Amino acid sequence: MNKRLKWSSLVLLATTMLVTACSNGGSSNQAANNGNNIQSSKQTTQTVSDTVADKDPVTIEFMGHGNPNEKSIFEKLIASFEEKYPHVTVKYTSVPPGEYSQKLTTLISSGKAPDVFYVGGSEFYRFAEAGTVLNVQPYLDETDLFDPDNVWSQALDRYRYDGAKVGSGDLYGLPKDVGPWAFVYNKDLFDDKGITPPSAVAGEWTWDDLLDAAKQLTVDENGDGKPEQYGVAAYSLESAVWANGGNFIDYDTGQVLVNEQAFYDAMQFVADLTLVHGVSPNVEAEQSMNGYTRFLNGQLAMFAMGPWDQPAFWELPFNWDIAAWPASPTTGETATWLGSMGFAISNKSKHPQEAFDLAAFLSLDEYGQRQNYELGQAVPNLIDLSKGEFLASDKAPASRQVFLDIIEDYGRPDVPAFSKDTQWIDLFWQQASRVWNGEVSAQQFTAEIQPKMQELYDKFNK
Amino acid sequence: MNIKLNGYRKKELAWLYLFVAPPVLGFLIFGLTPMLFSIFISFQKWDMISTPSWVGFENYIELFKDEKVFKSLFNTVYLMIGIPIGMALSLLLAILMNRSIKGISFLRTMYYLPVISPIIAVSLLWQWILNQDYGLLNHVLWNWFGIKGPNWLGDAAWVKPSLILIGLWGGLGGNMVLYLAGLQSVSSTYYEAAEIDGANGWQKFMRITLPLLSPIHFFVLVMGIIGAFQSFSQIYVLAVDGGPEYSGATIVYYIFQHAFKYFNMGFASAAAWLLGILIFIVTLIQFKFADRWVYQD
Repeated sequence: MNKRLKWSSLVLLATTMLVTACSNGGSSNQAANNGNNIQSSKQTTQTVSDTVADKDPVTIEFMGHGNPNEKSIFEKLIASFEEKYPHVTVKYTSVPPGEYSQKLTTLISSGKAPDVFYVGGSEFYRFAEAGTVLNVQPYLDETDLFDPDNVWSQALDRYRYDGAKVGSGDLYGLPKDVGPWAFVYNKDLFDDKGITPPSAVAGEWTWDDLLDAAKQLTVDENGDGKPEQYGVAAYSLESAVWANGGNFIDYDTGQVLVNEQAFYDAMQFVADLTLVHGVSPNVEAEQSMNGYTRFLNGQLAMFAMGPWDQPAFWELPFNWDIAAWPASPTTGETATWLGSMGFAISNKSKHPQEAFDLAAFLSLDEYGQRQNYELGQAVPNLIDLSKGEFLASDKAPASRQVFLDIIEDYGRPDVPAFSKDTQWIDLFWQQASRVWNGEVSAQQFTAEIQPKMQELYDKFNK
Repeated sequence: MNIKLNGYRKKELAWLYLFVAPPVLGFLIFGLTPMLFSIFISFQKWDMISTPSWVGFENYIELFKDEKVFKSLFNTVYLMIGIPIGMALSLLLAILMNRSIKGISFLRTMYYLPVISPIIAVSLLWQWILNQDYGLLNHVLWNWFGIKGPNWLGDAAWVKPSLILIGLWGGLGGNMVLYLAGLQSVSSTYYEAAEIDGANGWQKFMRITLPLLSPIHFFVLVMGIIGAFQSFSQIYVLAVDGGPEYSGATIVYYIFQHAFKYFNMGFASAAAWLLGILIFIVTLIQFKFADRWVYQD
């Protein structure tokens, strides 16, 4: 008897502990969910009374993430959408970015997917493949909201799916934004030293110029070996690799290319900014104070930014501007990545037409796009707006053209955009610290890691 | 066999089932069902959005091929170094706290405080303390001892010791309370007898206190090992993406990543069952050997 009790209690102990350990995330989600439901039911009762008679009232659920700024913009946009479509009520939920993907997937798998929701690159691929997101092509062809020639094709093409691959075929989503990753510099620091700042024209300023400027702009005032001011930080490896003619992967063949010379030379160049030249904070310095904080403090001359960084940078007490990423001396080319987030519509939506109208409105409405760029959230999706008033705006950065150059000319989709499972590239970033801290050379590292990346890519992406 | 129940007895039984129902139902719905479902899922390939497909033992085979499984298991076992250290320290603390000095309850509260503090908040605090250039710890090390502190959370070799340090700080209070209760239940007659026989303090501690606390040692050890196998929250906060070179990732963190980042639910379930079986075996061994060193009254 005693023995049996001991056994069963043992089993119970081990298993329940296991279950409770894994269930933490779920419960908090549920709580958040309940809160939303209460809120939304209030909203619907309010609006039912003033709906137009000829159309049945419809409620569309819309889920996204983002900072408070983004949330308030969307609340305004939704209000003007509801004015335009009086029979539609939008129930908007904004989730903290960290929880978003988890929550969305859970909702989808339990059949409660919101009608309209944000999708990112690799997520979009998985959803399109699983048939979770609606093919919006038929709706697009009929609507008058949308002129495809006036939307950045670089953004639109992200949301095409041809039944096997992302990038071509019918549209399964609409872009929320385009995010050109730009090179930014503290103009005051350059002026103080009398150094010519980086050029806004691609190809004019090279890695050699970068190194030259960075050396002069790295200052160790008290001589303790730890500079108080650095030349450059968080230099984009993507930019370096692509500029140098290398690539992370060839998505057409599925071949991981990190072990090619153009790649590891570029990676070594980025590592040497720290290891050899000491003009960029090393892993330790970066950990104790990251590049972003250093830049805000005026202790960093060159850094990287996306359009969404503008509101914070507008507050800075010094002058700053963006420039083209430095070009590789071997090729004379430059490159950087172009991010994007999109709106997708659930395949199970009961009101696909209204859901599409909402997505199209949020993505393409001129008023909304204007709001978005004026608050420094993004570059407009509409080409005429971007090339017109966005470019003419007198707010920093002065060289706004750089953002558009990146979109039109030398920006490329961020590395994971076209893979549905990102383990292969995550592994790379996890292990890359061995190169950044000088433990191994880039050539050695990439040779070692390429087979592992290839294996992961083949296993989960083919 | 037919037992006749009278009305009173029937009513009593009905109440019994009513009272037992909530926890039993709760366990069946939220505990057992997902658990059984996860066995089923562990033989499938499933990303939560497409239809699951049967893959047999493939997930389990893949587990043994992934070096990250072994790395995270190694990390998990490494973190267990903290358990004996924690036991010794909390016993020491308990002995110190087991005397009647002024303000003792204040001190006890102080040591117990970390136990009831939310782990995420505490982890964020430690992130500041362990910062290489601006952290309190390295500041103290340099100013008081002239030691140049390591990059606690940024250096692959120091992440695990840092986690152990934080675990010690957070776990001391709880174990101290257990030991305190144990100490107070040791009958004074043993000590009196020992004193008459001429035992000194050290002998009393080694021959009486330590052995009589063995059920507590056992409990703390079993719970400590299970807890170590399951450590997650502090890793999630302190070791972003598993820390440098995956040096901070534990097995639960690995499971979490596969389940809620890559949505390989089948694979994650298989890993969870591997962990469950491991915990079961380790606990079983502990129970097996318990007879040899744990004194039961």
